[in-house]
Amino acid sequence: MLTFLRELTELKGPSGFEDDVREYIKSKIEGKVDEVFEDRMGNLIALKKGKTGGKKILLDAHMDEVGFMVTNINEDGTLSFAPLGGVDVRVILSKKVVVGKDVMGIIGYKAAHLQHGEDYARIPKYYELKIDIGASSKSEAEKKVAIGDPVSFTTEYEEVGDYIIAKALDDRGGCSLLMDLIDDGVDANCDVYFAFTVQEETGPKWPVILMEQLKADMVIAIETTTSGDDPELEKYLWSTHLGDGPAITFMHRGYVVSKEIFDKLVETAKESNIKFQYKMRTVGGTNARRYAMGGMPAGVVSIPARYIHSPISEIRKDDYENTFKLLKTFLESE
Amino acid sequence: MSNFTSLDTKELLLKVTSIPGPSGYEDEVLGEIENVMKDYSNECFRTPLGSLVCVKKGKGPKIGLFAHADQIAFLVTKIYEDGFIRLSGVGGWDPKVIASQKVWVHTKNGKLRGIVGFMPPHLQTTEEYKKVPDYDHLFVDVTMNPNWKEEILIGDLVTVDTKGFANGDIVFAPALDNRASCVAIIKAAELLWRMNIDAEVYYVFSTQEEIGGSGARSATYISEIEYGIVIDVTHGDEDLPGFPKIKIGEGPTVVVGPVTNRKFVEHIKTVAGKYNIRTQVEAIPGRSGTDTEDVQFTRNGVKTSLVSIPLRYMHNPYEKVCVKDVEDTAKLLAFSAAELQ
Repeated sequence: MLTFLRELTELKGPSGFEDDVREYIKSKIEGKVDEVFEDRMGNLIALKKGKTGGKKILLDAHMDEVGFMVTNINEDGTLSFAPLGGVDVRVILSKKVVVGKDVMGIIGYKAAHLQHGEDYARIPKYYELKIDIGASSKSEAEKKVAIGDPVSFTTEYEEVGDYIIAKALDDRGGCSLLMDLIDDGVDANCDVYFAFTVQEETGPKWPVILMEQLKADMVIAIETTTSGDDPELEKYLWSTHLGDGPAITFMHRGYVVSKEIFDKLVETAKESNIKFQYKMRTVGGTNARRYAMGGMPAGVVSIPARYIHSPISEIRKDDYENTFKLLKTFLESE
Repeated sequence: MSNFTSLDTKELLLKVTSIPGPSGYEDEVLGEIENVMKDYSNECFRTPLGSLVCVKKGKGPKIGLFAHADQIAFLVTKIYEDGFIRLSGVGGWDPKVIASQKVWVHTKNGKLRGIVGFMPPHLQTTEEYKKVPDYDHLFVDVTMNPNWKEEILIGDLVTVDTKGFANGDIVFAPALDNRASCVAIIKAAELLWRMNIDAEVYYVFSTQEEIGGSGARSATYISEIEYGIVIDVTHGDEDLPGFPKIKIGEGPTVVVGPVTNRKFVEHIKTVAGKYNIRTQVEAIPGRSGTDTEDVQFTRNGVKTSLVSIPLRYMHNPYEKVCVKDVEDTAKLLAFSAAELQ
């Protein structure tokens, strides 16, 4: 368990640039499943055939993470950029980033001494911020980077006590669960498709395409979700609480989860004595909605996490393990 | 010799910025600096306020080279039951740059991990979306440390955990304000050690500049110098209305203004010309916000100069300097001392 999470989170894979993540996953699961294939859009799908077959269950985890794209190379050698996915501008000031394959830089921010009055008391706009790669002119920068290059955070994975601190846990945590399930072997009657998908954070509806290809009977989106269990949020506004196990979603933005799948997940957890929690807020969306739009009922199971969509997020190992148990037990009962 | 295999400027910059040394807690970083400096001085000692003074003996005029070694940090001001803490700044932070940083909480029994948490966009209300980060709302999550409850106390020191790196001649690192100047002095000391000069040189790595403390002044008092050059950093590559843009990569600035002695400044400019060292002029009509004022008004007064290394993103977890600027500063310091009669 947790064999791949370190490497998975340290890979660079903003939406649309999932190649490294896909290649990594592919190299680790080949030979352990009955089929591995990549579709036209870059989704990676692995099939593990069931004992009896017939029914098809699809587990979805998205490979992409929030990041940025270079939008301009400025005369002074700095880079302008825009977010890929939802990144609050307040979490990116003075962070180390990697541009393209391996060009290191920082998101610079004006010294406090030079911000006067109103400037100091306001949140900067994306267009005011620049990535500094140490180039002193446009031509020098152009030798290293190009407009359209992806930009990723560079946080190193770290385990402290019962916790894991890393970037991109949303949703490499989900990818890691799928890989651990493949590694561990799933003893199910039904066919299980493990789908590692692209561009969840930027929102296109790729899952519809997957549905068209696979015609699964049931889908579960495996996510890493928000918690909010910190001093800045009153308890009644928390969406999950770290340490209380996998979060089972009954509804989120734009989608009421299939009652049948929801009930089944809850029953499985209860019967097998697996610690779980209900997701207590309906904010945020997942690919479940997009599968449902393709005509397929979908459920959502998530690892609770703090501070997602920022350079540093955090989960608990026991939550991860309980999510694994719930999924494995669920699949093996199908 | 210390653990530096050679005095490569880039390596020195990365090494001395990797050691946390906030105002009042400079001991460890000064220890590392002393390890190097003892090879280039006849004597090293600490002042009662903790500043490190290294002396190269001589029979000529006494000159001091000053750089403050401290950096800005935080203290723990509040601890919540469930493993979160609040902070207050030691020195001039912009709280806006602290969100989503890794930090160290320095406890009596070692350092513990912390992360400055930030509410994901999904959970923010319209009001929260507009909040400018400040100490009242920023918090540090220390729940991951099994022993946080026993170890963390109000008043514990907190430092941001960023690691320096270099891109060619450019270094991005924490605390380059003012470790870049410390490195310039080390490099100058290395040069002067091999030269036969008249002057007696006091290399002073001082404490508590960032909180306006008097580390430099007390060191000046002890050393009884006639000349003093303070080395600090200045805003590079920024447009300041009414002033020329100071450029990173074009050499240190030599400051003109009331905190400096005109004749001594002329001496430094002449040396720069003679040895072909590129410098930039920085006019400071009033107080400089450095230790220069303090050094100037100690004992019977000191003939001061202020030399600054251009630096961008001052007081942020990543600051930026050019290696060549640091080396040019070292040369300027060494020859300015060597040519004193």
